Amino acid sequence: MEQSAGKMAPGTTNPAQEAPAKLELRNISKWFGPVGEGVHAVDDCSIEVKNGEFIVVVGPSGCGKSTLMTVGAGLEAPTHGEVLVDGRPAGPPGPTRSVVFQKFALFPSETVEQNIKFGLQMTGVSAAEQETRLAEQLKIMGLELFRKSYPSELSGGMQQRVAIARALVMQPEILLMDEPFGALDAQTRTILQEEVQRLHREKHYTVLFITHSVEEAVYLGDRVVVMTKRPGRIKKVIDLPRDVVWKTGDIELAAEHPEFIEFRREIWGLVREEIVSI
Amino acid sequence: MIERRLERMGVMTDRGKAAAYGIFSLSVLLALWICATSLFQWIEPRVLPSPAQVIRQFAWIITEPFSGLRLPGHILFSLERWGWGVLTAGLVGIPVGVFFAWNPWFKTFLNPVFELIHFIPPFAYIPLAVLWFGASTATQAMVVFVAAFPAIVINSQLGVAQVQKIYIDAARVFGASPFRTLCRVVLPAAAPSIYTGLRIAISNGWMALVGAELVVGKVGLGFMIAQGQENASVATIFVGVITIGCLGVLIDTLVQRSERYVLPWRRVAS
Amino acid sequence: MGQSRTLQVAAGLGAILAWIIIWAWLTRPGGPVPTLYFPAPDDVWAKFVRMWQRPYIGSTLPDHILASLYIVLTGWGLAALVGIPLGIAMAWWKRLKWIVFPTFQLIRPVPPLAWIPLTILWLGIGDSARISVVFIAALVPWLMNSMLAVYSVDRLLLDAARTLGANDRQILARVVCRTALPTLVAAARMALGNAWSTLVAAEILAATAGLGYVAVNASQLLDTDVLLVAMFMIGILGICMTGLIGLTQNWLAPWSVLGARRD
Ligand SMILES: Nc1ncnc2c1ncn2[C@@H]1O[C@H](COP(=O)(O)OP(=O)(O)OP(=O)(O)O)[C@@H](O)[C@H]1O
Ligand SMILES: [Mg+2]
Repeated sequence: MEQSAGKMAPGTTNPAQEAPAKLELRNISKWFGPVGEGVHAVDDCSIEVKNGEFIVVVGPSGCGKSTLMTVGAGLEAPTHGEVLVDGRPAGPPGPTRSVVFQKFALFPSETVEQNIKFGLQMTGVSAAEQETRLAEQLKIMGLELFRKSYPSELSGGMQQRVAIARALVMQPEILLMDEPFGALDAQTRTILQEEVQRLHREKHYTVLFITHSVEEAVYLGDRVVVMTKRPGRIKKVIDLPRDVVWKTGDIELAAEHPEFIEFRREIWGLVREEIVSI
Repeated sequence: MIERRLERMGVMTDRGKAAAYGIFSLSVLLALWICATSLFQWIEPRVLPSPAQVIRQFAWIITEPFSGLRLPGHILFSLERWGWGVLTAGLVGIPVGVFFAWNPWFKTFLNPVFELIHFIPPFAYIPLAVLWFGASTATQAMVVFVAAFPAIVINSQLGVAQVQKIYIDAARVFGASPFRTLCRVVLPAAAPSIYTGLRIAISNGWMALVGAELVVGKVGLGFMIAQGQENASVATIFVGVITIGCLGVLIDTLVQRSERYVLPWRRVAS
Repeated sequence: MGQSRTLQVAAGLGAILAWIIIWAWLTRPGGPVPTLYFPAPDDVWAKFVRMWQRPYIGSTLPDHILASLYIVLTGWGLAALVGIPLGIAMAWWKRLKWIVFPTFQLIRPVPPLAWIPLTILWLGIGDSARISVVFIAALVPWLMNSMLAVYSVDRLLLDAARTLGANDRQILARVVCRTALPTLVAAARMALGNAWSTLVAAEILAATAGLGYVAVNASQLLDTDVLLVAMFMIGILGICMTGLIGLTQNWLAPWSVLGARRD
């Protein structure tokens, strides 16, 4: 239904016709340090994420993807532009916008289960509810055996799963994921990619997802935003078909589908231009 | 050292505001001091001298000999004792620390003696030093040595132990002998840590020196304070305390500043 | 692992034994070191046993030990009560830091011992003079390390907590204070080390009991063996106290003693 709603038309949303985007980054620019002197990380980026939509951002390393995400989460104020949730200014960060950080950001002093329950405890979810949701996440992520372990006892991949579980357990309206599978081994990555794909299809999560893997982008995204090198601007937005067979199956099979290959070639071409032109 | 780390973490921003608050709070403190002493005499001068009295005492000690020496004389004596102690601690401590990390058996054997020096506080050596050397420079230097030595050994050892094994392996792969690996790879990599050890040792030594001078000796800054206590002259104690504090800061600043010249490759890192 | 550990311990004990033998050999009757300068190990041991029962300059050894412990633990504990909350608060509210820190910076470079004459003049040679000097000595590491502990909490963790809905108070209580615990344990050890060492000097200068008092009297009376007993006791008690603090880390901050992964 929202398949073709990919127009990047900031400021021209017509409330009579469409509901406001779930998450909108409007003309975001970000400077670290004084404007004109410091690092210009992001320049005039606008991204709309509709309700239930899965947007993937790809771009060369250091182009400002993570910055865009921290701004979207409300952790950093943009130098220019604004962040809107449901058409209203987003305000401070909170559990409606869960973040999976590129560097995990697990609490070293808390066990796996304490880490996952952290947000639930902070927001006053009842103890019984906490346990059910925890059990569910532990099961999905295959962490049952490690619930009493501390993050420092886990492998990188395990830590990343805890970080994902900690975000998902909040049942957020918006999920912001910064290269969540970057640290994973190939097998786990495949399984989690399919898991995220399933969650998105079944539970209609609204996701802003950052990756540097073009395949991942094509497989997961409803739309793919390609960014230029720093200062990151939006180079192109590519709409992907949504209800096609290859997206529901596993990623290996999808990767052999001609349509997939075509999209991958197109996006990879765009990204490569940015990397080569450094 | 801690402050440098704080600074690197970006905590020391808002400089202007911080300075304003600082000046304000210090002025309040000074005003209170003046009120309590010169203005309203809430506190007897015998207990707390006024700022003016302290300054007068300062001038007096600089111009007139106090127990035979003017202030610079006392300072020089203190510095000499401290210098000998720290110098020996460095000359002995760095090799010991490096070999502690390099050769576990060497460490196992020498460890009991090292722990003795490490865990018995330097001041506990004062009576022993007095017994051995009487009231000579060696007494105070020994106390300074005991205070400075462990920090140097521990940090040298830490620095060497922390050199990542891949560097050493890399050097080995290129055919370097253990000794050359030590000189070319390990020591430069461990140097920052050794330097940190020296810095700690230098300030520990300064602290210990004051203690030693309080107990024995007829010259030096610690002696001056002790003399102030004897004569119930709080102003003299203040002069001594302020001088000791300022010299401590001065020495530490010099050492800190010199790091970039002694260890040029650290400039990039910090 | 287990075996090499036993080997290490055995080697350590062997080294201690070797040094005692070297010591005994050096101080043997007619040996190179006169016992006036350094007594033989058996003399020291005999004196230790004797002092345990018979009073030396007023009290038995256990009483001297208790006297020292009382002062050091009081000063250290009081410093913790002031230093930890103040340090954490100063790191959290920078205005407070801007106000308090300059004064603190002014006092910090002065060796704690330099305050002894002042405290003696102000408070007399009773316990309170020594307690306050120990307090000053312990306060600096408590406060500085509490601040450092807060600053060294990864900013990313604070961000993560905020996105999970924690407010400032919750972040301070649950993330900052807990993550800071290992640093605080280290602070406790450092503070106690400073306190203990300062106390010894304070007792040398002004006391009527305590191990430092024993040491300085022994030195004046040329009782070298008593002096060594006192020095050993000072060292051993220091090790025991810091060791006990180290043990608390196991249950205060179990995550910090797991040993880092190597990947
Ligand atoms: N807190 C900061 N202060 C100063 N500069 C920063 C800060 N955070 C990021 N930058 C700079 O902003 C630019 C963009 O960083 P960002 O982390 O957003 O890149 P990225 O696209 O996520 O890269 P990667 O793919 O490697 O994760 C980089 O040049 C980085 O050095
Ligand atoms: Mg990034």
